[in-house]
Amino acid sequence: MSDRKAGVYLCKGCGIGDAVDMDAIEQVAVSEMKAPLCRQHDALCSDEGLKVIQDDIDGGEINQAIIAACSHRVMTDRFQFNGTQVVRANLREQVIWCHPANDEDTQMLAADQVRMGIAQAAKFDTPQPWTEGDFNRRIMVVGGGVTGLSAAREASLTGHEVLLIERADSLGGWAAKWSRRLPHRPPYRDPQDNDLGALVSEVEGDSKITVMTGALVTRTEGMPGKFTVEITRGGAAVLETVGAIVVATGWRPYDANKLGHLGYGASPDVVTGVELEEMLANGGIRRKSDGQAPKTVAFVQCAGSRDPEHLPYCSSVCCGVSIKQALLLVRSDPDAMAYIVFDELRTPGTAEEFYRQAQEAGVVFIKGKVKSVGADLTVTVDDALLGEEVPMTGLDMVVLATGMVPNSTNPDAEAEADEFQEQLKADINPAVPIPSAGFANGGEGEEPQEGFPWPWKDKTPTGGSILNLQYRQGPHIPMLADGFSDSHYICFPYETRRTGIYTCGPVRRPMGMAESADDAAGAVLKAIQAIGNAAEGAAVHPRAGDLSFPKIGYDICTKCRRCTVECPFGAIDEEEDGKPVVNITRCRRCGTCMGACPVRTIGFDNYNVQMISDMISAVEIPDEFAEKPRILILACENDAYPALDMAGINRHQYSAYVRTIPVRCLGSVSMLWVSTAIERGYDGAMLLGCKSGDDYQCHFVKGSAIAKERMSKVGETLKSMMLEEDRVISEEVSIADSARVADLIDRFAGKIGELDANPFKGF
Amino acid sequence: MTANMAATIPGQSARKYDLGFARWVYENIEGGDKLSMCMQCGVCSGSCPLGTEMDYGPRKLFMMVRAGMKDAVLKANTMYNCTSCYSCVVRCPRGVPVQYILQDLGRAAARMGYQEAKTTDNARFAKAFIWSTRKFGRTDERLFTFKYYLSFGLGEAIKKAMANMSIAIKLVKTKRMHLGMPHRIKGTKDLNAILAKAAEIEKREQGI
Amino acid sequence: MGKKYTYYPGCSSESSGSHLDVSLRAVAPKLGIELEDLNDWNCCGASVAHVEAGALPASALSARNLANARAQGNQDVLTACAACYLKTHHTNEKIRDKPGFKEKINEALGAAGQSYDGDLHVRHACEVIVNDVGLDKIKEQVTNPLEGLKVAGYVGCQTVRPFAGTEGGGDYDTYEDPEFLDDFIRSTGAEAVEFDSKTACCGGAIALMSPDRTLGLIKKILDEAKEKEADCIATPCPLCQQNVEMYQAAVNKEYGTDFQIPVVFYSQLMAVAFGMDVNKDACLDRNFISADVIAQKARK
Repeated sequence: MSDRKAGVYLCKGCGIGDAVDMDAIEQVAVSEMKAPLCRQHDALCSDEGLKVIQDDIDGGEINQAIIAACSHRVMTDRFQFNGTQVVRANLREQVIWCHPANDEDTQMLAADQVRMGIAQAAKFDTPQPWTEGDFNRRIMVVGGGVTGLSAAREASLTGHEVLLIERADSLGGWAAKWSRRLPHRPPYRDPQDNDLGALVSEVEGDSKITVMTGALVTRTEGMPGKFTVEITRGGAAVLETVGAIVVATGWRPYDANKLGHLGYGASPDVVTGVELEEMLANGGIRRKSDGQAPKTVAFVQCAGSRDPEHLPYCSSVCCGVSIKQALLLVRSDPDAMAYIVFDELRTPGTAEEFYRQAQEAGVVFIKGKVKSVGADLTVTVDDALLGEEVPMTGLDMVVLATGMVPNSTNPDAEAEADEFQEQLKADINPAVPIPSAGFANGGEGEEPQEGFPWPWKDKTPTGGSILNLQYRQGPHIPMLADGFSDSHYICFPYETRRTGIYTCGPVRRPMGMAESADDAAGAVLKAIQAIGNAAEGAAVHPRAGDLSFPKIGYDICTKCRRCTVECPFGAIDEEEDGKPVVNITRCRRCGTCMGACPVRTIGFDNYNVQMISDMISAVEIPDEFAEKPRILILACENDAYPALDMAGINRHQYSAYVRTIPVRCLGSVSMLWVSTAIERGYDGAMLLGCKSGDDYQCHFVKGSAIAKERMSKVGETLKSMMLEEDRVISEEVSIADSARVADLIDRFAGKIGELDANPFKGF
Repeated sequence: MTANMAATIPGQSARKYDLGFARWVYENIEGGDKLSMCMQCGVCSGSCPLGTEMDYGPRKLFMMVRAGMKDAVLKANTMYNCTSCYSCVVRCPRGVPVQYILQDLGRAAARMGYQEAKTTDNARFAKAFIWSTRKFGRTDERLFTFKYYLSFGLGEAIKKAMANMSIAIKLVKTKRMHLGMPHRIKGTKDLNAILAKAAEIEKREQGI
Repeated sequence: MGKKYTYYPGCSSESSGSHLDVSLRAVAPKLGIELEDLNDWNCCGASVAHVEAGALPASALSARNLANARAQGNQDVLTACAACYLKTHHTNEKIRDKPGFKEKINEALGAAGQSYDGDLHVRHACEVIVNDVGLDKIKEQVTNPLEGLKVAGYVGCQTVRPFAGTEGGGDYDTYEDPEFLDDFIRSTGAEAVEFDSKTACCGGAIALMSPDRTLGLIKKILDEAKEKEADCIATPCPLCQQNVEMYQAAVNKEYGTDFQIPVVFYSQLMAVAFGMDVNKDACLDRNFISADVIAQKARK
């Protein structure tokens, strides 16, 4: 924008005017920063205050409003002027609410907040959305089990066309095999009729849903709103266009052949829960050895689950399923006895009612770990409550409650090329902060943190990818160490790290039929949102609605590939020669590419390297004799910045020497900003971001991990500048940490106070 | 009665763990049907005034029932340290009538010939108590107490009686123990007929 | 004229717990309770009959009493003894509610030509005083308020457990912190001390058969009563009264203590407060740890 006319508006409301000398601030804006217009008002967010700004806009006085008042996180609906650019300077939450009133340092901080706001406005352009070409609104659902069927039906009910792909020749998946299902309606006490057939009929009769059975997705390219998928059916391939993809490929039972110690294979009368289910659906429970109805049956829980040698996680439904099967057994035959041997019985919520029902029906529950099952069906239990090994003899049948393995790969398909297997290996390694970087350099030599269960350390999930994505970062949807798809569990459960592609049901985490149906609805809603936002050129979560997108200066780009490797969402592909190409609707606008770029040629219209550098430089640095150190805080806008606002709301006091700039994600932090701060004379810098690691909280999944990796190299730089390494630190902060963040700042400020002043001051 | 207890005679049980035992308890012990509801929280054992005297607290005893440890359960002294305070009954979050089950397990153990059960103080005391009830229709505290002492042998009986002599004297002095003939009801014959019939029904029902 | 109840005194009324029986009979008319003795009542079996006689014969003891009460006509059977109440009430409820039980019991009763179908209401004297009489009625009768007397209200077990909180049991108090006894004590003008041991167990019948196992339980009760500076302990239960009074000497011998705390029934306190004869009605002379302190405190 060439002809900027920025007006500065100083709000005196909420006590700001009483704690800060606003006339002095106005002097800074007008005399020092050369703002063409500056006004003070008693309450800018009032109708009268807003009118003052609107009148200036209407009169052509300004085309940018710098509002120095409360945090940019509040009053966003009030401070909106029909597209006129608004920049906010936080004088309330992070100045007067957390620092003493009418204090020299508080006054200096307030002045710097306004300086930074004016500097920001000077580099701030209104983004224009990218909406080139056609956007498709159809949703492809992969998997025709209970999850996929529910997803297809939910999507259709919202008016969307659906393409439903099922590998098998008929719909229904595993759930179609069950005779009765776990109770999901009050009073939650009895196994219920399996109503899946009705759902299959609804889907098959739905004119908005196109069902393709016996079909596999063999290739996927494009981006939200513009996916092109190749579907292969009976040897013939067809191309389809869809707007978003819901992956509901479900699960498969853990291979019981690996459970020899639990007697599987040693006796035909040791069966899995799934095998028992099939018996129940086909005439009742019979021993495989002699076809007789068993009288005494033991159910072995956690058969291969919660076992570091097999599946380290809880498969969630096995307890309920065994309770169901035991109930069906004792109800069909009053002489039969059922024993459920469990380590910990997991019957959350209403499942407790079901558990009680089984107890009332006389099912015997024994708490202990099963050590072994013999060929003679002797079950040896390490009974936790008795503190001794108890042999259970005289059993007619033993049922192993085996766990769920997510179908995050297609076990029947051929594995992709070795390089992608290597990438997958790195991807599921929690110790590798940048998995696709691991791909680039082979990902060798990395070990997960001690004690971290990593069942597939040496055993990459077998089989081919589900979608065969034609992405720079490989064909797979990124998954976690245990093989379930990676997603932000707390805030965005359905999101994968491939925008516009949503996983739900047991491929996301172990769950039963009722939960899978709910999960499907959630994923479909996210898919619909992705399609809508893509068509408008807007980001999906967590920066939902953001119209900016990364722009690459190809004249400077060295084709170093860091952006294509580090993008947590695989949004950037490469041309043959390494030229990066942003698939804009895949982008979540975190700016990790911007932070990665060594030549700083990636930026957004409203967020770029120069803008933040200018803000850092706009701060007034007192000389070393003033003994007023300055500390730069780069705070992630998702958790850390709100935590700082909360600190103000809670009136936690902390050092007034800090100057805080919100960033989209620590992944977007350019190391230039840190070096700028040091060169300008700041005495320290502090990065506040979300938790990284296998239990990450980062809203962009890998951003904080990547920042940590980059920060590990800052120490060397500081040392080469003859500065102490601990002038720059990075801390993990959650949104609830309002008291802690104030404490962290004070402790860091204390440490900085003990060091000599930065020798670059006034350099 | 459906579940069979083939090995009801101690010593003849080949297995230490008898999976049929839990079922037998569920079906034959008073309150046993509710034992299946136990979730092993231990509130019963924690509430028990004489839990420290027990071989196993009720929580553990119930787990042993489920595990089929028949002999160990029926030899335990748990049942005979129950004071019938009913704390476990009112506190059990799953409504298991713990006291009722213990009491009836104790009775079953004695019936099934477990020597441990037959020689407890409780068994001797109960025998003397019932003797008085059958004979007079009422409890004669003097006579049944001495009868209880006698179950330990004459020498022991005299020793115990002497030890409690001062109490007895005080009771007599305060008109809380009389010196004449026992109080007796008119219908002792009827009462004994009823008791005999009830015992006959119970044996018919439970087989022990 | 008050309400008429069939009264089941129980075996202890003729011996160690006779002061409960006599004092209750004395105060009952003042509370509007008319007691008509149960014909030819027999022992309830308490907590011990079961082990030797079996479950059904133990219940049959109560069933015979109930059949006799049925013939007498009153709807409510009242008993003041915790064990008699528990056994009789429980048997009555089982006959009424437990499938198949009534048939078995009647088969047994048939041996004496009797029958009973569970339609009576078996009630504890304390529940009757709470629900039918009311505290106001007690206060009205007080002529010699027991001012300055500090009483530890010791409820014990079977008076409240497991029926005081059930509909059939009159739903008159809680199991963990019953209030009724403190209310009775305060109604007589005395002070009810805070007594955490109010529902602790005295050892029950085990105290009688092997006191060595239960002296510790009794000591804990006495310890707290002493700590709270109680002048006496008041209880509704004959076995509690007997154990805590009778074994004090043994506790003192075993633990080197010097307890000398009178243990009385609530009905004895009432009789004194109502201005009745301290020996003939209140039976204070039947406590062998002297309870004269109660009479001394009573303001004439």
